[in-house]
Amino acid sequence: MSRTRSVSVALIAVSAAAVLSAQGRRAELDGVWILAGTAKIDMTLTPAGEAARAKYNYLKDDPAMRCIPASITRVMHTPSPPIEVRQRAGEVEINYEFMDVHRRVPLTPGLTAKDAPYAVKEHPHLGRSVGRYDGDVLVIDTVGQHAGILDTLGAPGLVQSDQMRTEERFIPNGNRLTIIVTHYDPVNYAKPLVVTFNYQKLPGGEILPWDCTPDKANYDKFTPKPN
Amino acid sequence: MVNTRCVAGLAAWLLLGAVAAAHHSVAVNFDNSKTLNLSGRLKEVDIRNPHSRITIEVRQPDGTLKDWLVEWSDRNALVRRKVPFQLLRVGDTVTINASPSRSLDNLAYFRTAVLPDKSLLRDCGFAAFREAIANGETVECEPERAK
Repeated sequence: MSRTRSVSVALIAVSAAAVLSAQGRRAELDGVWILAGTAKIDMTLTPAGEAARAKYNYLKDDPAMRCIPASITRVMHTPSPPIEVRQRAGEVEINYEFMDVHRRVPLTPGLTAKDAPYAVKEHPHLGRSVGRYDGDVLVIDTVGQHAGILDTLGAPGLVQSDQMRTEERFIPNGNRLTIIVTHYDPVNYAKPLVVTFNYQKLPGGEILPWDCTPDKANYDKFTPKPN
Repeated sequence: MVNTRCVAGLAAWLLLGAVAAAHHSVAVNFDNSKTLNLSGRLKEVDIRNPHSRITIEVRQPDGTLKDWLVEWSDRNALVRRKVPFQLLRVGDTVTINASPSRSLDNLAYFRTAVLPDKSLLRDCGFAAFREAIANGETVECEPERAK
């Protein structure tokens, strides 16, 4: 075997090993996960974002009071309900127990987010998503999210514009999973809003029905206390 | 597997103030620095998502009856943490220790309940649950029996 050929064979072997290693780590993403701690939020609001947040009134403005998931970030901020990741040929399925959000993200090469179907057909306001792998990291890009409330729990009153683009990075680490969500919204954030969620695997876990009904989720029947 | 009782979890819950147990921020809606004892008959126990709701009929100083609604964790969380919420039975007379809503009348958030047999029902809380899972243990929030 010539020296050149030997080097080529060695490079191919190293590349193949790297691909197999990445695929092995990707498999770690599958499973049911619960939050392992409080999410870290890095935010710098624009004056418009600050003004919108100042007006926020959770009793009137929180979409969850109508059983509507404001955003995927908002969904993930709820600590108790787990999430489930299932990677399949051509798509990744992410099920969020909170508000029964069942998300399907195509992994179609060449497909852009704007041409992808709605990721959650019952909730088109959550936008259109497409996924890809960056080594062992699953990356999901989302566009087409409707203007409105972004978060009501981790940082109550954050808003989003319809210009917002979102990137999620699912980083496997054995029984731990980190999801870094970066929202690019120049209308409301002076620099990208970055929310980091750390999860731990829930052995034997399953996603249970949420079955939210608005009449039991809001406070419309209650009387405000006098100021 | 180790079975972890939830006394430590209860302490953690009280210290951390159940930061976010339901679909809204508990800390935003309820004043965890205050507690009140609501004694009376249970009219409704609705263990559900996004949060459970317990209605208790409380006699007022003037003799009239007033309904209080006590919110609690979501059903799925209570099930996972094996909280025996079935011990709250409609018609029973109990005393619920709860934190009042900051802005709404007759609304509070559940902390503990003294049941008719004087045992103390509580929720271990999510922090204790996830810590137990991380340690390969299980949580079972058994009521604290009266001494």
